[in-house]
This record gives sequence, C-alpha cells and structure tokens, in this order.
Amino acid sequence: MKILKMAKENLDFFVSVLPAFGEVYAPLERGKGYVFERPSKWSDVRLKYTRTLLPPKKLMLPPRETTFVFDPDKGYQDRLEEASKPMVLFGVHSYDIFGLNILDRVFAQSKYTDPYYIARRKNTAVVGIDFEPDDKHLASSLNTDFVDSGFDLFLSDIGDHYLVLVGTSRGDDMVVMSNCLMTRPTGADFEEYKRRSMQRRASYKAHLVMEDLPEILEMEYHSKVWDEMGERCLSCGSCSMVCPTCYCFDINDEVQLGSRKGERIRSWDSCLLKTHALVAGGENFRGARSSRVKFRYYHKQRGFVAEYGRPSCVGCGRCVEACPVQINIITVIESIRGEHHGIASSARASS
Amino acid sequence: MVKEMTEPKTVLMIDDDVDFVRAVRALLESAGFKVRAAGNGRDGLQLAKTLEPDLILLDVIMSERTEGFFVLQEMRRVPALANKPVIMLSSIYNDVPAFRVDPEAGWLPANLFLAKPVDPKRLLAEVTRLTTTAAAEGRQQ
Repeated sequence: MKILKMAKENLDFFVSVLPAFGEVYAPLERGKGYVFERPSKWSDVRLKYTRTLLPPKKLMLPPRETTFVFDPDKGYQDRLEEASKPMVLFGVHSYDIFGLNILDRVFAQSKYTDPYYIARRKNTAVVGIDFEPDDKHLASSLNTDFVDSGFDLFLSDIGDHYLVLVGTSRGDDMVVMSNCLMTRPTGADFEEYKRRSMQRRASYKAHLVMEDLPEILEMEYHSKVWDEMGERCLSCGSCSMVCPTCYCFDINDEVQLGSRKGERIRSWDSCLLKTHALVAGGENFRGARSSRVKFRYYHKQRGFVAEYGRPSCVGCGRCVEACPVQINIITVIESIRGEHHGIASSARASS
Repeated sequence: MVKEMTEPKTVLMIDDDVDFVRAVRALLESAGFKVRAAGNGRDGLQLAKTLEPDLILLDVIMSERTEGFFVLQEMRRVPALANKPVIMLSSIYNDVPAFRVDPEAGWLPANLFLAKPVDPKRLLAEVTRLTTTAAAEGRQQ
C-alpha cells in the first residue's frame, strides 16, 4: 500500500480535481446534522463531522429506485446505465467504509448478486477520512475504527498534513492527476500518525463487549428484555433506515392506469415495520413488536456472524441518535448480558 | 433557446475583478459581442441558467480560491449549459504555487484554460472560434 502526504491547505485543490472521477458527494451541514450531498463550493464541505444522517448506503442502494421499465411494445429496459454513473464519495469515515464492505458481501459477493448495486459500487470512488469519536461512536468496540480495504484513498490527520493511504489503482490515478499536491511522508509523519491513532482509540467514550455475544443471544432468546423492548419500541423503523448495513427492500410494480406499461420499483423496507413479515392470507410471522425488534438484533449481532464471520453492526451510533424513544444498543446488550436491569430504566438514565 | 443568425453572440463573464471585466467587455463589445457579467459564482450560475449565453468566461479565484472549479461542475450538470463553451481565465497557476495540476490533464471540463494576464488578441480569437464552432455544431444537430 502506497502512503503519501498532502498539506491540509491544499485539500480544496485536491477536491477540485476529483470530478474527473465522477460526481463528488461530500459531508455537508444540513440543519443540526450532516448529509452526503454535492457541494456547490468548497466551504460547504465539513471535514470534522460526527456522522451523516444517512450513511453512504443511500447512494449505493437508493431509498427508492426504478430497476426497469416494461412496455408490451418495447419489452424490458433496465436502468443499468443510469446506475453506472461515476461518483466520488469524499470524506467517508472508516465505519461507513466497513458498512459498504458489508453490503458488498451481500450484494456483490453472495450467490445472488445485484447488478445495480455492483454498477454503483464499481463506479464509485471512495475517499475516506478519519474522525474524532463522540459519545455514540462504538467503532473501536466493533473493530471498525480502522479500515484497510474498500476505499481508494484514506486521509488521516497528522497535524498540518494528511497522511494519504492509497488503496486502489483508481486511488493511484487520483494521486497521479493531483501529483503536485502529494509528497513523500517522513519517519516523523509516521510517528505522528501512530501517536494520534493510539490517542484516538483511547478517546472512545462508548464501549460494547462483543465477544461471545452470539452465544449470549442464543441463551437469552426468551429473555423478558425483548418484551420490555417491544413495549418501548415504536416500530418506526428509523434505526434500520439510518443503519449503514440494513438492506431490506421491497419490490412493487407500478403500472400506468389504462395501459400495460409500467416500472418495477425497489424501495427500502424495515424488519421493524409491521408489514415486513405479513404474507398473503393475513398471516404475520412477526406481528408482535417485541418479535420484530428482537429479530433485528438477532440478525445483525448473531445471524450475520454465523453467515459472514462478524456482526453487521459497524458502531456508527446512528440508531442511538435516530431512536425517538432513546433505545440504546449499549443498554440493550448490557441488559441481555444481565449487567443492566430493565431497558426502560437504563434508557431513562441515559437520556 | 433559438437565436437568429444575425443576433450578436452573448458572452457571460463570471469574474470578481471589476477592472478586468471592464477591459474584456470593451474588447468583446468592440468586436460585436454582447457581454453580461456577474461578480461571483452563485450569481454567475443563476445568470447562465436564464441567459443561456453563447460562451462563458469563468474566473477561478473569487470569494473562494476554488470557486470557479465548483461553478463549472455545477454548470455541466445543467442540461442547457452542459455543452456551452467555457473558457477559464485565471491567475491561479501564478498566484498559488502549490497548485500545479495541468489543466490539460483532463480533469477540467472547460474548453480552454487561459492564464491571466491574457493576451487580448488570443482571447478574442478563442472567443470567436468557440462561439462559431458551437453555433455550427448547434445548426448541425
């Protein structure tokens, strides 16, 4: 892996060159939060941000998209060309890159691959950037505070400069195109990088013990904690909508009135929503809220470990931030482990 | 927007240097061009959308030192402006030594980059060439 450095003051120039690789999306401030959007000027870009409201998932797997249109005269027409439009995601945190790597496993490396996801991911350059954890980040517990793949370039703050990790040949092309902005790092730069890395890891305020969690979940399948969660959860689905790795979707055919033309729409779904497990005939396999909220935890923290070797949670803290009733993954897991007594009381204590 | 063949070509200048705008305006108007101007990227983009000029002269360093680059990207996303000839005029390569990225390297979606100070004859020749080429391409479509 090639490592270079770039003066912070030249980052605006570097970003000016990036459109050669696709439409640039970067973290911008919107209201009280941040979003990945197209900047109309450099000063819109926020390099120090906590987390975006929605993860980069929104660009790889849009909340609503037409996968193809159908017409009896013309047949099926896919939208792959549209999905192949090059993009550059600038300023992505390590846990969100991990999130994309997890989506890759599901959509690009599994038995049934998704051409739309693959087209977007393949044509999207990712430039990562490091971050200072807040009280909701759990990245160090989930081992997502550092990432070594899934990005083209990764920028790490070392004072006046960024250390630039080159992850792919496309990242190398970016370096070549903006070569004058990059220089060789020194031993002192590496020392500073290591010092800051250790300092950052030590600065995490939120922690979660992940070891043996799948086994604990197996043992606690009938725990009354899930009933308490069911009482508290509103089934709004916010946690899964903002999650970088929740990927459930629904498919609907929308046919034009009075014609046989139409389009197939894919839109985000959530296992928290009551209709998620509703099938023809009115049977709902997860009619109770407690069963839905339990399912989400089991899928992310246990099912995914069995299938892919790690939980699909990346510790971004978005679910904690988005939950309208302050359900917090830390207190849920601690309650399941018996370290807390009651979700409601612990949630109240943390709010 | 369809224009009569005899109608003077419109050039939009987006530049915060009032003196430079005045000088270029005089040069282009004397050659029969109609010139409109905006002093910053946001106003320039808005004017470009409504005016749909025949050519745009775009500065880089305005209220921000990369403002012109971002404005150009925005323009290329507007269908009516996606193929408009754009000449970037800037002193960035002289003023900011750190930035030595060759505009010919293919990253800049402008038709031409001219470093300030600009040779008036060269500028007039390029504006004439690009507006004529664009008009000819428009007629062929």
